[in-house]
Amino acid sequence: MAAEDVFNRIPMLRAERGVSRKDLAAALGVHYQTIGYLERGEYSPSLYLALRIAEYFEVPVEVVFSLRSFPRLGSEAK
Amino acid sequence: MTGNLSERWQQAQAKAMEHDLLPGWYATRGRRRMLAAAGTFAVGLMWVDAAVSWSIGPSDDAARISLILLAVMFVIYMPAVTLLNIATRGVNELAERRLDERQVGERLRAIALAHRIMLGILVALVAVALAAGLARGGPGSSVPTTTVVQLSIALALTHFVLPLIVSAWRLPDPPPDDE
Repeated sequence: MAAEDVFNRIPMLRAERGVSRKDLAAALGVHYQTIGYLERGEYSPSLYLALRIAEYFEVPVEVVFSLRSFPRLGSEAK
Repeated sequence: MTGNLSERWQQAQAKAMEHDLLPGWYATRGRRRMLAAAGTFAVGLMWVDAAVSWSIGPSDDAARISLILLAVMFVIYMPAVTLLNIATRGVNELAERRLDERQVGERLRAIALAHRIMLGILVALVAVALAAGLARGGPGSSVPTTTVVQLSIALALTHFVLPLIVSAWRLPDPPPDDE
């Protein structure tokens, strides 16, 4: 893992809530490509943006972001 | 009124940066780098122009060559810079308050890199000027006014466009639309 890698669940949360990148970007006041770069892990957000994303999805920030990769869905049930 | 006009201009500028013009020309990193190279070549023609003016000017031939170089430069520079600005979504062109944190970071990195490249260009220019001045007869030799003007324009243009070229060169492929 690179020193500044931050993993996130934005694509999953977006898919679950049926929110497009452009909708999320408009709600957060960022460029829609920034959401794409965030999702691909090519950009790590500031603390402010991370908190705003968590607030948008109404979940704690650690549900959206983590320093370790998130477990695959269903892997915890095994 | 002026504020209103400036706001409207900035809005129009921001809108234009989101309007994909010839998207195929900057869809991939390779193509963006080709455009960046074209922009660099166009700016390079201004430097060639100054060099021609210095070596054979002032003369009719120098004026004719200068006009041809300027015309070629204009034909390459305008579309290349327009497309580069759209490809980078105006990261270097728009007012900072119209950019998000990632774009501001990109702009700052591009400016920092361009600053270092510009420093190299200035050092090289001083070295070439000294060497050419000495070859032409030492400190007493003169430089035509047109050369000084063209060199100043070349320097200003390079300083102006370098951050855009650096941004476009570094830009990763944007994520595909999800709609």
